[in-house]
Amino acid sequence: MKRFDSVLLKVFLYGLPLAAVLAVFSYFYGVGVVKHGGGYVKFLNGFAGLVLAVWMMLSVLLSLRLIVSGPFRDRVIARITFIRERDEREAILTGKATKTAFLTSFAFLVLLFCLSCFQVSIYRVPQEKAVDGKTGIVSLGFGFSLLEHGRQDRPEDTIERINIFSYRGLPVSNATIILMLIVWQIISYNYSMRRLMK
Amino acid sequence: MSKCLPQLKIVNCLHVFRAKHRITQEQLAKEIGVTRATIVAIEGGDYNPSLELAFRIACYFKTDINTIFSIKEEMK
Repeated sequence: MKRFDSVLLKVFLYGLPLAAVLAVFSYFYGVGVVKHGGGYVKFLNGFAGLVLAVWMMLSVLLSLRLIVSGPFRDRVIARITFIRERDEREAILTGKATKTAFLTSFAFLVLLFCLSCFQVSIYRVPQEKAVDGKTGIVSLGFGFSLLEHGRQDRPEDTIERINIFSYRGLPVSNATIILMLIVWQIISYNYSMRRLMK
Repeated sequence: MSKCLPQLKIVNCLHVFRAKHRITQEQLAKEIGVTRATIVAIEGGDYNPSLELAFRIACYFKTDINTIFSIKEEMK
């Protein structure tokens, strides 16, 4: 299994530049260019597509192996996140830095949860729709839903309004949030490790 | 932890033993299988080594662990 993991990792890493080339290629040349292109373009597109398909499959397999295999995880993730445990002191410092990284990530997650759920709207309604003579309205909401498409859509308000401020959750995609968390984990770990090493 | 308990501070004279044996921090670190930063931290009192490492240091200098490491009581 160790050999299999090693081969898996090497194929994944060596496939990265090819996947990048394909991304650049598809950015500059659309589907139409490939369709009407010469044999060279078609071959390159087909080959890069095959590499991408294999690479995508390997990425999923590699992620699963990283979750289930402890030694493999230690070897790979430790290298990616710059974790060094050369002696007992560094092992203790790694533990402390990991605790800091975990706690700051947890706090960051709580913040993201709040920002993605809270909804705030400040708007003005016409004078005839005023409540107790007041035309300025502050509307607060908590937009939590278990599933992405399980949201029960409320009927749209038909009242004429002038929006002053409107916040309805984080305006970033799920992939961006996950990427932010990965980067946050690496930065917070390395920052606290540097501070502890001083 | 109870407030009346004394704070135990572990002090060491590792630098003295090192000077007596005329070895550098780098050499000692290599001999006992740690990094030089760990030797620096032990000598500076910033890090208390594990029992295993303390015994390894004592064995290297062919002495007793108590002669290198001792306890200094401090009331907090």
